[in-house]
Amino acid sequence: MTFETIKPHLPWITLLALVAVVGVMNDNFLRPANLLGMAAEIVPLFIMALGLTFVIYIGSIDLSAQSMANMITVIASVYLVTLGPWVALLCAVAGFGLGMLSGYVTTRLLVPSFISTLAVGGVAFSLAQWLSGQRALYMDAAQRNETFGWMIGTTASIPNELLIALALLLIALFVERRTTLGRALKAVGAGELAATASGLNVARVKMLAFAISGMLAALAGLLFAVKLSGGAPTIANGFLLPAIVAVLVGGTPLTGGVGGVVNTAIGVLIVAVIRSSMVYFGIDATQQQMVFGLVLIAAIALTIDRAKLRTVK
Amino acid sequence: MYALQKVDKKFPGVHALKAIDFQVGRGEIVGLVGENGAGKSTLMKVIYGAYQPDGGQILVDGKSVRFANPRQAMERGIGMVFQEQSLIANLTVMENIFLGYEQQFVRWGVINWREMAEAARHQLAKVKLDIDPATVTSSLSFAQRQLVELAKVLTLEERVEGHLVILLDEPTSVLSSEEVQLLFRLIRELTARASFIFVSHRMDEVMEISDRIYVLKDGQVVDVVSRGGSSAETIQHKMVGRNVNKEYYREQRQKPFDSSRTLVELDGVSLPGRVTDISLKLHAGEVLCIVGTEGSGREAILRTIYGMRTPVEGRVLIKGQEVTSFSPRTAASLGVGYVPRERKIEGIVAGMSVYENMTLSQLGRHSSGGVLKLAEEKALARDWIKRLSIKAHSEHADCGNLSGGNQQKVVLAKWRSGGSDIMLLDHPTRGLDIGAKEDVYEMIRDMSDAAVGIVLVADTLEEAIGLAHTIIVVKDGRIQKTFGATSGVKPTPFDLLHHMI
Repeated sequence: MTFETIKPHLPWITLLALVAVVGVMNDNFLRPANLLGMAAEIVPLFIMALGLTFVIYIGSIDLSAQSMANMITVIASVYLVTLGPWVALLCAVAGFGLGMLSGYVTTRLLVPSFISTLAVGGVAFSLAQWLSGQRALYMDAAQRNETFGWMIGTTASIPNELLIALALLLIALFVERRTTLGRALKAVGAGELAATASGLNVARVKMLAFAISGMLAALAGLLFAVKLSGGAPTIANGFLLPAIVAVLVGGTPLTGGVGGVVNTAIGVLIVAVIRSSMVYFGIDATQQQMVFGLVLIAAIALTIDRAKLRTVK
Repeated sequence: MYALQKVDKKFPGVHALKAIDFQVGRGEIVGLVGENGAGKSTLMKVIYGAYQPDGGQILVDGKSVRFANPRQAMERGIGMVFQEQSLIANLTVMENIFLGYEQQFVRWGVINWREMAEAARHQLAKVKLDIDPATVTSSLSFAQRQLVELAKVLTLEERVEGHLVILLDEPTSVLSSEEVQLLFRLIRELTARASFIFVSHRMDEVMEISDRIYVLKDGQVVDVVSRGGSSAETIQHKMVGRNVNKEYYREQRQKPFDSSRTLVELDGVSLPGRVTDISLKLHAGEVLCIVGTEGSGREAILRTIYGMRTPVEGRVLIKGQEVTSFSPRTAASLGVGYVPRERKIEGIVAGMSVYENMTLSQLGRHSSGGVLKLAEEKALARDWIKRLSIKAHSEHADCGNLSGGNQQKVVLAKWRSGGSDIMLLDHPTRGLDIGAKEDVYEMIRDMSDAAVGIVLVADTLEEAIGLAHTIIVVKDGRIQKTFGATSGVKPTPFDLLHHMI
């Protein structure tokens, strides 16, 4: 048994091992209520990671996701008063549109995705600052509960957030496995030149991947704003690194073509366990990003398909 | 002085070199010929240290050696002049010549450029190239770059004690005939200091320059011919290992095509770069071969029909309809299928299954409202696996794990199952073994019977002649001559070669 044969199974083995270790060290951890709470806590991050999966699956990257979520918390807080439930549509459209813009810049102007999305992220962040006047904004509690309260409620003692996450996962899984878009994304990720030579509209496929990522980042932002009952241009800072870590430790490498949304679900759970174990081990919140940075490097070094890389710049 | 004894090299699924015995004497020029896939490039890589043999030994001056990498081989005097030029375009000539060996000019951590230029001039004089060593390489002509490559390898003379062995991989493919003669004269003069291994597709050149010729077939040395010891035809026979007879290319199955139905018409098409004023017509059931040297514009013509290149002048008509937007998508929707030369890069998607590959060009047909009809796709794949006898454990097999011949069948099935009736085949038999080649020839005849028009860029001239109804010879991006090549009136390779170079 070589490393290559174990590699596809590494994510869930890692997850089980982590759960076992943390469970042994802390009796409280394995209690259903704790597990449910932990999972619900991570849902906004999961939604963002779900979107990122599509972009990483085609071998690109989306660095704008966090700024997008930031901007959406502000938009949601500002326009909830006037638009009511329609603010959700505005958020989704804004995310989709900005994602499309990243995709356009990447595919038509041939700007590498890490730069195009960094730039679009900068635009989104600045929009958030401008709209919010650089202040933290608060939603009207009554209105929030009336419009979006269902998002953070519980159904049969299961947090609704988890049900939302599950629904989104199933939709994403359907897109990935059963639609022409999903097939095209796989082809672009695994062999872009062959996809082009087969007559696929590769540019459109890529733009849609960025748009999906943008839209899901926006939904993550919306849910986060509802949870915190407000928004601020930096409120979701600290999301991007764990979200990318989740996609990569889940088993979708930066080179794309393999993995997928189920892998990301596992990856997010790994991140959730790492995060709560840090609390048990008494690691300060300010030090968490250090851990995620190190995990990210380890995950990339382990999972990347070096045969696909000629040079690294 | 340099010898291989019973050298073996295996790759997963391929026995690339089988007990090769090979010798180069002092000052000798040794030719190396063989069909694509015969093992030439593997053998070269073993010689210059890029591959390590699995069995047998390498002897330099009678002593057994083992090279872990090309640099170690260079330190023993074995250098390689690359076909795809290894010079870095934005460096100067002298920087290229001494790339990796700048230390000799470094004083106090700084390169003494004047000293390097002087040394470079000395190297360039060896190849009789009178250019300023500070010239940026990208501004040189192809022939000049080839000579700089040679000069770079000749720096081994100063660095290494003893005699050199220099590999020349297709050094003439981009040279004009005068430049070829200059290069040959130079090589002959240099034999005072070095031995050469000359690899080329051009039989006449190999025969002209070589003292001895090794003929390689299926990873084995099938013959060693001394100068004047054999005719080009005999050597070719040995390379192919059988009479290149009519049966091999399924000539008896060649039928007249339907000249009343024009599928593709190019009218005065010019592309950015070399390709100029190309006019041709492809009819239903016709096999049209484009022959020419590497870089003559053969591939560019194919890619234009497939919409991957946009002409600056002229018109492209597909089934009478003028193409206005050039993209593979448009071409594919008009029934054009493209089998690219780089099978593993552009032909198949490794990591996707056989059925996913087969329907990749026709996702719209196997879906409704964007949702795939998986059962239909799999049924189609099973049908074509049977029809083309593709060796795969099922339609779920990863295409990347199939053999070259089966991958090629998947690519053909991808287009044929979608009903493409204009097929562009770029080196469809490259790297395939004999059996798989014959399968491809059989499929070409099947397609002709089904009134498919085929534009073919063949692997060898014999293949082009054997398969074609019509042959177009291109040189430097222009059509030189058109030959009718229906059974009974086929031109000889020499007829074609004459217009190619």
